[in-house]
Amino acid sequence: MKALVIDDSRVMRRIVGTILKDVGFEVVEAGDGQEALMRLEQHPDVRLCCIDWNMPVMNGYEFIVAARAKPEYRDITLMMITTEGEQDQIVRALAAGAHEYVIKPFTADVIIDKLDYLGLLDQEVSV
Amino acid sequence: MTATVDWAPVLDADPLLQITQDLFATMIDDEPGYVSHWEGERPELEDARHTWVDVADEQIVRVVIGTGRETGEAITRALLRMAPGEEVTDEDFVDAVGEVANVVCGNVKSLVTHPGTLTIPVVADAPPPLGDGERLVDACLSWRGAPLTVSLWVLP
Repeated sequence: MKALVIDDSRVMRRIVGTILKDVGFEVVEAGDGQEALMRLEQHPDVRLCCIDWNMPVMNGYEFIVAARAKPEYRDITLMMITTEGEQDQIVRALAAGAHEYVIKPFTADVIIDKLDYLGLLDQEVSV
Repeated sequence: MTATVDWAPVLDADPLLQITQDLFATMIDDEPGYVSHWEGERPELEDARHTWVDVADEQIVRVVIGTGRETGEAITRALLRMAPGEEVTDEDFVDAVGEVANVVCGNVKSLVTHPGTLTIPVVADAPPPLGDGERLVDACLSWRGAPLTVSLWVLP
């Protein structure tokens, strides 16, 4: 299964990407929402996007809105991973079409639990 | 100060300590116990680096983190799971300490439910311009025995 990690921080892309690879995902990366939309065109088999909120060019919320406007992306699971922990921000992201919301700081177990809940883990690595 | 922001949850050093402890326990040390208040006289940071992130609105809220370069490199190695002694590039350093400031500032923003937006982290050898800003909190913490300063400012 292929995942797209969208974060302007290379460190965060690496951390999230490593967690995903450890549970069997193939990972592609983008540094902002606009680049992420290009990556989705290049990789139509992406099934999960992990999305930061605060990014230059196009932020994570704008990316979710843009992705949800395209019917061809309706099967992609969208998971926000961000420092934006206020209730209204979470509600806004979920209302726009995000499936899950993770607030930094997080452990690998938090991400893996979310993936398991979303049914995105292979049986052999499922917790 | 804006009427929309209640500063009470961050008006002493303990919330900043708690946020920093949570961050280091989950993403850097993989277990709690390595971050505490600095005991004794506040030390000078050796080869200091300053990292800041703002919450931008009518007033700017700025979180400034200070470390020595060596401590920042140790944080970078831990965050990136690098080998001990592995060379830390400037790009790695800026990205890693910038992310630490980003997470601390984001959590401060959540505590005070500030309506602004987080800016991209800035890392520099010199402290940021603070002008007539009001310093709300100035915490000196210890991470594995090395000093780490975390301060919170409101700028006009």
